[in-house]
Amino acid sequence: MQNSSGLNDLELWLEEGYPQSVRTAYLILGNRHDAEDAVQEAFLRAWKFRHSLSKESSFKPWLYRVVVNTCNSKLRQEIPHRDRRSDEEDLETVETRDLVFDRIALANDVMSALKDLPAHLRTVVVLRYYADLSEREIAIAIDRKQGTVKSRLNEARRQLALHPALRLEMSNISNSDEEITG
Amino acid sequence: MTMMDEDELSAAIHGAADEFEISNEAKNRILIEARGSERQQRRISVPSYLRHQSRGLQFLRVAAVIIVLAAISIPLFRGEISPAKNKVAVSGTGFLQPVTLNSEGLVVSGSIPSPQKTATSQLSVTATSASPTSHGAAVLSPKIESTGSVDLTVKMGQVNSSLTKLGALATGDGGFVLSTQANDRSHGTGSFSSGTIVLEVPQRVFTKFVSQVQRVGKATSILTSSSDVTSQYVNLQARISALNASRQQYLAIMARATSISGILAVQNQLDAIQSQIEQYQGQLNVLNHATTFGTLTVTLTQSGAPAHVTHHRSGLSKAWHDGVDGFIAGFEWLIRLAGPVLFAVLFLGFLLVAGRWARRTVRRRRI
Repeated sequence: MQNSSGLNDLELWLEEGYPQSVRTAYLILGNRHDAEDAVQEAFLRAWKFRHSLSKESSFKPWLYRVVVNTCNSKLRQEIPHRDRRSDEEDLETVETRDLVFDRIALANDVMSALKDLPAHLRTVVVLRYYADLSEREIAIAIDRKQGTVKSRLNEARRQLALHPALRLEMSNISNSDEEITG
Repeated sequence: MTMMDEDELSAAIHGAADEFEISNEAKNRILIEARGSERQQRRISVPSYLRHQSRGLQFLRVAAVIIVLAAISIPLFRGEISPAKNKVAVSGTGFLQPVTLNSEGLVVSGSIPSPQKTATSQLSVTATSASPTSHGAAVLSPKIESTGSVDLTVKMGQVNSSLTKLGALATGDGGFVLSTQANDRSHGTGSFSSGTIVLEVPQRVFTKFVSQVQRVGKATSILTSSSDVTSQYVNLQARISALNASRQQYLAIMARATSISGILAVQNQLDAIQSQIEQYQGQLNVLNHATTFGTLTVTLTQSGAPAHVTHHRSGLSKAWHDGVDGFIAGFEWLIRLAGPVLFAVLFLGFLLVAGRWARRTVRRRRI
């Protein structure tokens, strides 16, 4: 009885959180297949250790914590030793498949800018601006103090603003906005 | 622009993340994997009370470990773990080593422990055989060894007569004079200026005898001490008893021996045992005597001659010296205490840091 309810829990988690978790992992890892692997591992881990989630703590940051930890361990252990060409191929196939070039170009630039960020800054940016976690929830997810999260977010935004690809994209966007309003 | 706009950044990141579709296959894979791992988990099931321990229980566990460590370490620091001082120790196991008989004759193997070895290693209570002394130890009256010394000042020319008087007092109480020594420092006057007499008096009258001695002259110093040697006494008795038991067994084996080599082997063992018994018996006799008779050394000095011993402090001087001694003792105590306290603080600090580190690591690895 208890076991089947455990699997039901997992099903519910997957239904609610899987897509966003995969995309979050993708933003952190920069590769779709790695992201799917990481999220699969994270969900299984989270489900295995579901008892460590106390009743009073909220589920969302806890689940993201598992996802972030799994991504971090992948970044530390697996990805640095791998041939990076597979990532590039992955991006190229996306590029040729989709014809909305502007959108693709922006996505690529964002991904490139995110990749250039250090992992600890990238994680907080993704959790804040993609997963929509509050600073307090991010603090829980990465097991750091809220002040640390705040300073990391500021630093990340500063570095992203200076990133050449994003600077160009943002100026294009603001120019096109001005043309429309003008 | 030094900071990127939050809305722009959010929109850009969302745009980048939503580039691909998410398939449902991955979800199914996770569910299948979870079912498999659940089956495995069921096989190795850990009781829930072990898996989910509350913080209180964890705290109690840590506290218990600390208490156990403290209980072990404090006596270590205080030097309480030392060779048993006052333990009444009885060793009732025989020294006989395994003896085997074969068709050709007798083979004896084994060795007799040396007195030094037995003195240290056999201080534990292991009364396995029915040793009469181990039963006797329970009803044994305390064996007390008393010694003392008294410094007396007697009138001029009375050293000799006082020595005689002291000897007579000891004899009257059932004791005897062990030794006498008189010194002539008056150069040709014919009388002794000082002397020393060692008296042995029965233990039961020792205290009374000390007070009698004080009346012979003017006592300038009295020092008596007693020590309980019951444990040593019982120990020796037990060893002798165990050796006697071994001896009886060897004698029985000797009666059944048929070959010369067998007889010789048993005889060797018997000789060694006998020698041990005699050695222990000698020690027991000395102890017996020491506990039957108390030894009192009386030093006599003529009045006017420099006293041999002591200058008793009194009044302010004594108070001052006591104060200084107390201060030094307190300081020594503080230094002595600082070691264990420092160790405990360092150890607890280490535990705290290690615990926090381990907790963090485990938490990170778990999820």
